[in-house]
Amino acid sequence: MRKILVVILFVLATAMPAYAVDGTKLLQQIDRNLSPESYESYRKIINVEPDGRKKEFTYYTVKKGREKVAGLFVAPASEKGRTTLRLGDNMWLYIPNVGKPVRITSLQSVVGGVFNNSDILSLDYAVEYNAEKVEEQGKEYLLHLKAKTKTVAYDRLKMWVQKEKALPVKIECLTEAGMLIKTLYFKDVKDFGGGIVRPAVLETDSPLYKDYKSIMIFAKIKKRDFKDEVFTLTFMPKMESLR
Amino acid sequence: MRGVRGQGSGVRGFLKAFAFCIFFFTFHLSPFTFHVLFAAEYTFDVSEIEKKPYHVGGYLEFYPIVFGLDKNAALYKLNFYDRDAGGTTEQYNGTLQLEGSLEKGISRLYVKTYTNYLNSYQYETTKTNIFEGYLSLKPSSSLIMDTGKKTMNWGKGYAWNPAAFLDRSKDPNDPELSREGFIVASVDYTKSFTEGHLKTFSFTPVLIPAYSGVNDDFGEVDHLNFASKFYFLFLDADIDFMFLTGGSRTTRYGMDFSKNITTNLEIHGECSLINGYTQTSVDGSGNTSRSTYDAVNYLIGLRYLSQQDTTFILEYYHNGTGYSPKEMRDYFLFVDKAYGMYTATGNPGMLNKAINLTQNMYGRMNPGKNYLYLRISQKDPFDILYWTPAVTMIANADDKSFSLMSELTYTGITNFDFRLRGGPIVGTRGSEYGEKQNDYRVDFRARYYF
Repeated sequence: MRKILVVILFVLATAMPAYAVDGTKLLQQIDRNLSPESYESYRKIINVEPDGRKKEFTYYTVKKGREKVAGLFVAPASEKGRTTLRLGDNMWLYIPNVGKPVRITSLQSVVGGVFNNSDILSLDYAVEYNAEKVEEQGKEYLLHLKAKTKTVAYDRLKMWVQKEKALPVKIECLTEAGMLIKTLYFKDVKDFGGGIVRPAVLETDSPLYKDYKSIMIFAKIKKRDFKDEVFTLTFMPKMESLR
Repeated sequence: MRGVRGQGSGVRGFLKAFAFCIFFFTFHLSPFTFHVLFAAEYTFDVSEIEKKPYHVGGYLEFYPIVFGLDKNAALYKLNFYDRDAGGTTEQYNGTLQLEGSLEKGISRLYVKTYTNYLNSYQYETTKTNIFEGYLSLKPSSSLIMDTGKKTMNWGKGYAWNPAAFLDRSKDPNDPELSREGFIVASVDYTKSFTEGHLKTFSFTPVLIPAYSGVNDDFGEVDHLNFASKFYFLFLDADIDFMFLTGGSRTTRYGMDFSKNITTNLEIHGECSLINGYTQTSVDGSGNTSRSTYDAVNYLIGLRYLSQQDTTFILEYYHNGTGYSPKEMRDYFLFVDKAYGMYTATGNPGMLNKAINLTQNMYGRMNPGKNYLYLRISQKDPFDILYWTPAVTMIANADDKSFSLMSELTYTGITNFDFRLRGGPIVGTRGSEYGEKQNDYRVDFRARYYF
């Protein structure tokens, strides 16, 4: 009897964590591990063509709270001064030559390549997705995420998460019918200082763009607070002054 | 002034220029480009992002155009009455746009100059304009003050902006071209809200002086004009209200909006009321008359992105200051008569009157009443990145005449972009596009950004 009780307790003890994982909390933890709620960072976005040719963009990003993100293209010269702004579901692009912000949609891409605007101006995952299910797969969790609204770029995400560091390893972006749109690979975990330890490289490929891939390399991610007015159309032409 | 070119030299010249561009960009630059493209690893050197207090940049552009002439069109007769230009005429443009800025503390000085070399059947000129040049003070992120020459770029329309009271007209054939600004003093005050349906409010008052030597092409001189714009991000829609008053132009009021309906559909609109607009028209015999009325202009449009990455931009524009099809026909009739008089008597008097009317009224970018704009562009067709084919139609909705341009752009080489365009200009006699001097145009643009 005592042996049976020990076995039952052992099974329960080992099984408990799988049932105890709260998908929503895990998702929030992943968001905070990827970046502070308000921060600035630099990214290099590289589009690689099937023959190996590349096109690079350097992009400065600022974020505040749950739904405010803005970005400024620092290079190349043809893109320099372009800024993007996202407030929740609203997105704008400012091109200096055009001289005024125009609305863009999340499925377009301001840089071409495999990343679209919602990838570049991404909000916290927990803001856009509900965790429907968490599966344990050895050293990883598999999170099944469902978009909260129809305005989110991908209906479903399958996110593989490193258990130890609560950082994503791979994300599959799917349509409502389960068709794969693209896969994101998180690589090269690095200490950015200020307690930020996260993947420095994000790679993506897509069955819709056969043999193309796009890469994002992160640098200088650091906590920083901004006034709300920084995230407005009026401020878009002045974003350079934040750097 | 240049003489008239020989027949057929247009197409030959254009082809030579085009071949030169292909040669130059393919062979001259590719060793450098390939070195950069293939040698680099996925590295991110933070020295690349170091900020300097100054910036100098811009672009260099080569832009040849060939026009196929329509010798029966009224505007051909008007522009070529004293010369024989053959079947085609060419135009070569070379442009250098320079931008520079200097930043110190809360202030920033910005200058944009535009130097254009033009070689056409009429002229060979080189002209430099300061498009913008202003001092900007930013004491806080919610308060920005600008003084100097500046483009305001009001309105939400892509091809037309009836509520852009402080801007020069857009060319719907190339809506993203830089335009020259006016000398203004403006303030932007912005307030953000975290609760409620109103997310952002901005107030932009603007002073526009119009005196001899200062904005003297803005309107009647010796007036200090005042304009304002009020912006609201309300219920996820951008909404602007604006007005202009002061005497150089008649008082006008406007409104615009823009909203994303879904992740791939945006709608926008714009309207304006111009008080006491005075229109001069001409009848078929050359008698002019003036009428004054309150003109209402409006635009409604959408931008839709399909699952196949095809972008559709569709706009309908009602130009309350424009001419009806009958008024346009009368004007073309008068031009025909004036030309007939010139060929019969050699007296250019009536033609000069027609030229004067064209320059000030009928020769505007869009002199008609109702227009449609449709642009369909396909990003990365067949999954080939950086190539974008597009078709653009601009139609006078009243007389059913139109221009239809096909284009192909390539942006695959860092800091270069290339565009080849061409298409017919179609319409019956007496219609707006049918009476334009050209039957078709083909142009090529190569731009290098630095």
